[in-house]
Amino acid sequence: VRWTRYNPYYLEPEPAKEVYRIPATELTDEQKAAQELKAVRPIKAAPPGLTSSVFSDPTVSKFVNMMMQDGNKVLAKSIITKTFESMKRKQVEKYHKAPATEKEVIECNPYTIFHQALENCKPIIGLISIQKGGKYYQVPTPLTDSRRRFLAMKWLITECRDNKHRRTHMYEKLSQELLAAFINEGNVIKRKHDLHKMAEANRAFAHYRWW
Amino acid sequence: MATKCTGLQAKVSRMLSKEFGKPILKPNKPLVLRNEVANRKLRQGEASCLTEMSVMMACWKQSEFNHAACAPEVQSFQRCTALALGERKAQMGQESSGQGGRLHPKQANTLLKRHPNLYREI
Repeated sequence: VRWTRYNPYYLEPEPAKEVYRIPATELTDEQKAAQELKAVRPIKAAPPGLTSSVFSDPTVSKFVNMMMQDGNKVLAKSIITKTFESMKRKQVEKYHKAPATEKEVIECNPYTIFHQALENCKPIIGLISIQKGGKYYQVPTPLTDSRRRFLAMKWLITECRDNKHRRTHMYEKLSQELLAAFINEGNVIKRKHDLHKMAEANRAFAHYRWW
Repeated sequence: MATKCTGLQAKVSRMLSKEFGKPILKPNKPLVLRNEVANRKLRQGEASCLTEMSVMMACWKQSEFNHAACAPEVQSFQRCTALALGERKAQMGQESSGQGGRLHPKQANTLLKRHPNLYREI
């Protein structure tokens, strides 16, 4: 079990297999030093989401963690797998029904669809509340990559949780939203555009930032 | 060091005394040094990447928020923000290490805590 607090001399575990396949003769000095350090220092326990498999994707893991409620990772992971399965089924159906000219354009890999949809949902600038002269102004500001990814995932999850029919399953609604975001349609894209419009309207306050 | 101290005490006592007209100093608290240094205020900077942002927003207004049409402006804005972030991180690292021969207020405070000015008999 991974503790939350470790002594600073603990080293991080290395999941990548390529590191261990390098023969001992071809190691650089830094890698040799790291190997020697590993023989002496203790190593932290691996977190449960860390795998060395080729199918593991850090963005998908992050999305699963964000969707998880009350620590039920099994349920969150199953929802995501069902989402990808339903997306693949829909796309393959479209592929078989399409004429030969359009067959190459249709994307069937659910992972690429997920990444592209997330990329389309990420906002480019955000708004920050800054106090000046007793009043609070919404100032447009650039966002870091992690913040943008977090916002995109958060919007997707809240949208799927709130605006769905009582009887539609989460994976069904998620697959619909992801496929819509892939072609730049849907409520999440609309929310991103609303944020951009607000930022554009408040561009006069951009000088209130000091960083 | 000792001679300098006595000279200062004499000066202070003359400023406080009422023998030579009105006293120059009328302290409401005892004249004792605190065991802390005031925190230096960070230099007020300006907002970074404003021109890039305004160019991007003008492009958006023209093309009705069509992101595909504004791709070069968006990329230049993102490059500018990445550069600004790197610069800020380098500046923060440089500030915490050394400040042109002076101590950082936090470092001075830790030192003073270890060797405080005793003004009370314990």
